[in-house]
Amino acid sequence: MSVFMDLNILAITDKKKLQSTIETAAHLGYSTVAINYVVEPQQKKQQIPKPESVTELFEKFPIVQGKSRPIKVLNRLTVVATDASHFRPSNEYKSFDILAVYPKTEKLFHAACMTYDVDIICIAVTEKQPFHCKRSPVNGAIERGVSFEISYTAAIRDSTMKKYTIANAINLTEVCKGKNVILTSGAEVPIELRGPYDIANLGLVFGLSEGDAKAAVSTNCRAVVLHGETRATALGIIHTMKRMQPTGQEQEEESPAAKKAKVVKV
Amino acid sequence: MSSHLEKCARSLLVCEKSSFMNEASRHETHVCKHSFNYKISVLIPECGVLPADIANVISHFKSYFLVRDLPVYKFLDAKFLDTVKKGGFYALSYKTRIDEDNVVALLSSGHLVLSLDKDTYQQLGLEGKPSEYKHRKDMRYVVTVDLTDKSLVPGTKRFQQVLLSLKERVPLKSDFLLTRCPPGAEEDGELQALLSQHTYEECRPTVISRSLTDIPRPSLHPSDLRGNAHSCTPVQFLEWLGSVNLNIRCNNSASSFLSTYVCPEPCATVNKVLLCTVTGFIPPEDVYALLQELRRCLAEPGFTDWVSLTVHGFADSPVSWGAAEHGFLKGGENFYNLVCFKNQDYWLHMATGSQDGCPP
Amino acid sequence: MDEEPSSYERVAYKNDSVYHYMKICLIFGNERKPLSAEQFKQLIISGLKELYGEVGAAFPFDVLTFDQFVLSAILRVYNNGLVKLWSALTLIGSCENESCAFRVTQVSSSVSKLILVLKSTGTSCRSL
Repeated sequence: MSVFMDLNILAITDKKKLQSTIETAAHLGYSTVAINYVVEPQQKKQQIPKPESVTELFEKFPIVQGKSRPIKVLNRLTVVATDASHFRPSNEYKSFDILAVYPKTEKLFHAACMTYDVDIICIAVTEKQPFHCKRSPVNGAIERGVSFEISYTAAIRDSTMKKYTIANAINLTEVCKGKNVILTSGAEVPIELRGPYDIANLGLVFGLSEGDAKAAVSTNCRAVVLHGETRATALGIIHTMKRMQPTGQEQEEESPAAKKAKVVKV
Repeated sequence: MSSHLEKCARSLLVCEKSSFMNEASRHETHVCKHSFNYKISVLIPECGVLPADIANVISHFKSYFLVRDLPVYKFLDAKFLDTVKKGGFYALSYKTRIDEDNVVALLSSGHLVLSLDKDTYQQLGLEGKPSEYKHRKDMRYVVTVDLTDKSLVPGTKRFQQVLLSLKERVPLKSDFLLTRCPPGAEEDGELQALLSQHTYEECRPTVISRSLTDIPRPSLHPSDLRGNAHSCTPVQFLEWLGSVNLNIRCNNSASSFLSTYVCPEPCATVNKVLLCTVTGFIPPEDVYALLQELRRCLAEPGFTDWVSLTVHGFADSPVSWGAAEHGFLKGGENFYNLVCFKNQDYWLHMATGSQDGCPP
Repeated sequence: MDEEPSSYERVAYKNDSVYHYMKICLIFGNERKPLSAEQFKQLIISGLKELYGEVGAAFPFDVLTFDQFVLSAILRVYNNGLVKLWSALTLIGSCENESCAFRVTQVSSSVSKLILVLKSTGTSCRSL
């Protein structure tokens, strides 16, 4: 097993509150969290946000409970896609460590599983998933190392959403056989966070086995972070191939990747 | 789905009944092989104050040291290595979690046990074996280095290889708890000298005694380990022990809304019970010394007819008994309990959680 | 010696413990509500009922200890009810319209093992 992670702490403008949520996550035993910026291109041409520099979040990062090291904070972008035009890989995506897509239609779900260069595909928790998670796209995503996310905060807030969350989660885990599932909070305030062992137990309600449930808050999250890193360093591979005729553009591409490597290193 | 919801993690409880007088009795082995002890508690029925002799033994428990940021390769330093080879040296990485982090332990046998995550293991380049407690893929590996091995002296190829791995490839370091119980005479300040270059603090085990009055206690009969007729069952007894430790009321009625817990039958009310707990990094040698003293006290006339000694291991230790691998799924518990009777019989209860081998 | 030393006997029990024990604590997001032990238990039962219905609300568990000042408790539950009780606790998000959360400090198949928790003054049960 690897360290515990919560890869979905909702990015809010109130910095104090965000800090307090991250402090609580550290106190509950999470070693890594991701601040999640959500963009809904459908709504009035929303701009892709610029993530706050993680290093400026704290003067001194909170220490993970029971350990001697500080919590690691990553940035994540979630694109809510209702139309194929919404997911457009661009340089703006590259300023995030983790990239997620929340497909709202079956067609987009299929595309996300089979072709989108993302780390996470979000499963609906605030409504009944309006389409079936079919076996072939799900398997395609698993083969490509893309993970499915179920976040639990909606289930804590509201009893109807509790039903949606559980139903959608069971439908997913039945198809993916417990593989490549991550469980995250999606919390806005500290009180919505739960401990990693609590969530590993909740995973059983979602139809995961004990081992799969614990992996969903640890090992599988680690795989997501690594997937995010390789997505970033894939630029490096392009770089070596192009070496024959260097252009000015590559240098620009190289720097964010190098920077990322630095952030990722513990 | 429902199958997952009603299943529960495996737990093991092994109970033994024997006599200290029995030559084949393995009580000493059991105690001495449980290396990393976090807490021990002694329960003496019909007793109001801790007998002076027992208090004396406890006050002579070894101090332990909390060292900050100790690089693991330091154990290979000539001076350290010499001390380790003399035996009785215990070290355990502090604030590291067995299901998440790299955990390091040094046993008194001189075996250095490294329980590592996959990334560290692959970079380290020392041969190990995959952890027995895995899920789908191997994510954790255990490397054991015998520091007393003849091929592991400064200058040899093997030594260089281990040093290179721990110093250059992966400069593993951690906070450590250390203690030493040398078999022979103790050289004063030996550990302090070794640690002089590091930040450390010397700690004493914490001792808390309290006396409880008018509580029901189960009856125990030395010959009835399983609880067929004259005693309660081992599980019930351990539950009662826990309830005493936690001040849980056990005079509830079956119709009570809050709790229906009652003391196991057959039981009697005792006037007083003494409970003494010691917390720290306690070497098994000290536990054994305490056990011997308890036995001696029991032999005295007028002393109670049984005492119980409970020993808890560190939840995040990479080993439980001997070098058997220890894991952590939900609880990570490993503990044993000895009930000593006046006639020198004893019961030994050994319990482990879901990621542990069967106790020896 | 009044009795002959006993002969050696060894028994191994696998999953013999009937109960699991949980050490929990209730915290509030803003204002703390004063709760009696009965109200505390009732809150948990309502969580069970919401997630598992009437059968869930009916299954027995004990509140062995309750500290009304810090709202912490030790619960005892049959093994096959542990996952349900725990998940119900996890999904309880409000108490009398005030946001709250149950923090689970330890889960164990034996009270004896729960002792470890009480010692540590912080929330950690796994370090000194």
